[in-house]
Amino acid sequence: MTYRSSGVYHQTYAASHAWWQTNFVRAKMALLVLFVATLPLYANLYVISVANIVLYTMLSALGVQLLTGYCGQITLGHAAFIAVGAYVTAMGVLFWGLPYPLAALLGCLLAGLWSVVFGLPSARIKGFYQIMTTMAAQFITVDFIITHYVSRVGGREHYFSLPPGTITIGGWPVDSEVKVYYLAAVLTFVCFAALANLLRTKVGRAWIAIRDNDIAAEAMGVNVVAYKLLAFFAAGVLAGVAGAVWIPSLYFVSPEHFQLSWSVWIVGVILIGGVGSLHGVAFGAIFVTVILELLKLAVIPLAEFYPALTERFLYLKEAAFGLAIVLFLLYEPRGLAYRWQQLKNYFNLWPYAY
Amino acid sequence: MSEPLLTVEDLHLAFGGVRALRGVGLEVRRGEIFSLIGPNGAGKTVLLNCVNGLYPPERGRILFEGRDLDGVKPYRRAALGISRTFQKIELFSGMTVLDNIRLGRHLHLRTGLLTGALYTGPAAREEIAHREFIEREIIDFLEMTHLRDKVVGMLPYGLQKRVELGRALALNPKLLLLDEPMAGLNLEEVEDIARFILDINEEERWRVTCILVEHDMGVVMDISHRVAVLNFGEKIAEGTPEEVQAEPLVHQAYLGEEQGEYTSRR
Repeated sequence: MTYRSSGVYHQTYAASHAWWQTNFVRAKMALLVLFVATLPLYANLYVISVANIVLYTMLSALGVQLLTGYCGQITLGHAAFIAVGAYVTAMGVLFWGLPYPLAALLGCLLAGLWSVVFGLPSARIKGFYQIMTTMAAQFITVDFIITHYVSRVGGREHYFSLPPGTITIGGWPVDSEVKVYYLAAVLTFVCFAALANLLRTKVGRAWIAIRDNDIAAEAMGVNVVAYKLLAFFAAGVLAGVAGAVWIPSLYFVSPEHFQLSWSVWIVGVILIGGVGSLHGVAFGAIFVTVILELLKLAVIPLAEFYPALTERFLYLKEAAFGLAIVLFLLYEPRGLAYRWQQLKNYFNLWPYAY
Repeated sequence: MSEPLLTVEDLHLAFGGVRALRGVGLEVRRGEIFSLIGPNGAGKTVLLNCVNGLYPPERGRILFEGRDLDGVKPYRRAALGISRTFQKIELFSGMTVLDNIRLGRHLHLRTGLLTGALYTGPAAREEIAHREFIEREIIDFLEMTHLRDKVVGMLPYGLQKRVELGRALALNPKLLLLDEPMAGLNLEEVEDIARFILDINEEERWRVTCILVEHDMGVVMDISHRVAVLNFGEKIAEGTPEEVQAEPLVHQAYLGEEQGEYTSRR
């Protein structure tokens, strides 16, 4: 629950439905937009590449947040739909001669529809059983269909190469980290805005109602199965966006990018960031990516004393991630977003305690 | 007050060996407050769940406005105009009071995935129009203006019951199923809810037919037009509160063997 600063009274319903309700918040968000827009001017390429990973993680986790955090449908196969988005976009550009935006749009739609297929069991099952069916999406899509069949299309070994310059938006080649950064930043903003809007209208409320109490939702006239499938579709589309954004910075697409570990990773992102919160997606993505980079920086000097550390970094990374999730579940089960909320409340109420 | 809004004919339902309903038949007329009473386990809630569509009856028919409800899903029945509250509070505990009531408006909203995501023009206007409706007709009426931004899970029990009534009412129902709306409330809260039910039933604005399941005899006898008494899944009496109170079978099954004067709380 948030406190509104004293003296803020809404005169219209439109004002109380707005995302950003006070000038202070509007100024803060304007600063954020300015910061994101000007980051490449003063940051080096390393920072930009980290920012790209953060944005990709946000886009990937956004669909998981929608399904798990808002609609209560636990998913462990989200990387499969990211893969569908990435592969359809890549194939559209490489083989079907589609312009990149059109191919990306097709990728999003197909990822959404493919997600609905694996959402169908959710009409009947919940909880652990549903985790199994979403994991099935992972194995069937990535490890079976893409690895064995899709990867052979065009006779190019096991991956599709996308040399710089292949992907253009209206003649503007997306061939550097900075350009990918801007593309990803714009699409991340669009996706966040779309989801934030959905959550304050009929569809989003129906999803949250299904999460909180599906029987009451049905008694109030919500077609529970249809709205669950709609949630799967929307989450698939968001995954498709993530996949389509990611391929320009990859130079090649291979099934290795979309393993089960990535599906688990993005669930961890929302656990750390906060389940059922859009802030949580952003905070979680920033947290895990930055911690990982700091870990890398720490490993380089440490490797002088213990050389095996460099080759074992991969295990170290997973272990640190696991440790972070355990610590969060123990000490901050509502995630970073809740801590952020507490911090804001503290300053809103300062110097009083409540 | 004449044509039946809801007709229940010869309803049977068993859970394993427990025969919860054994041939119950009822007729609820348009515009009345119809109360269902009976000892614990008499089948009152089961009957409501059958009307609402949560349980499929094994035998018998339920007609709503002359239409057979057999096989009609609960969300379709809501669209036909059947709304309800629950015995054990079934609110969306993570949402605010306002959002809970907004969900009750679900069937009256038209925003889809795309228009909702854009939130331009029609979607925003629709949200504002329904917000006005909710503020004027529900929040003001149920005296919840100070609660609207509170998260429901944090509210005390009595207020949660009131939010649930508001959510059911936001649906703009023709028939409202109230499953023990006063259970566990203090006297003041009971009187508030009773007043709201009377208003919902009598005010030109609403004119909602209510089926009330309730153990508080004082309220039931005071506000109901007609009362039906269930015992072990069978209807043992039906009629006006006075007729039901005079019925010896009811005394025997429910109010006790001894002949005693019914005393009101007031």
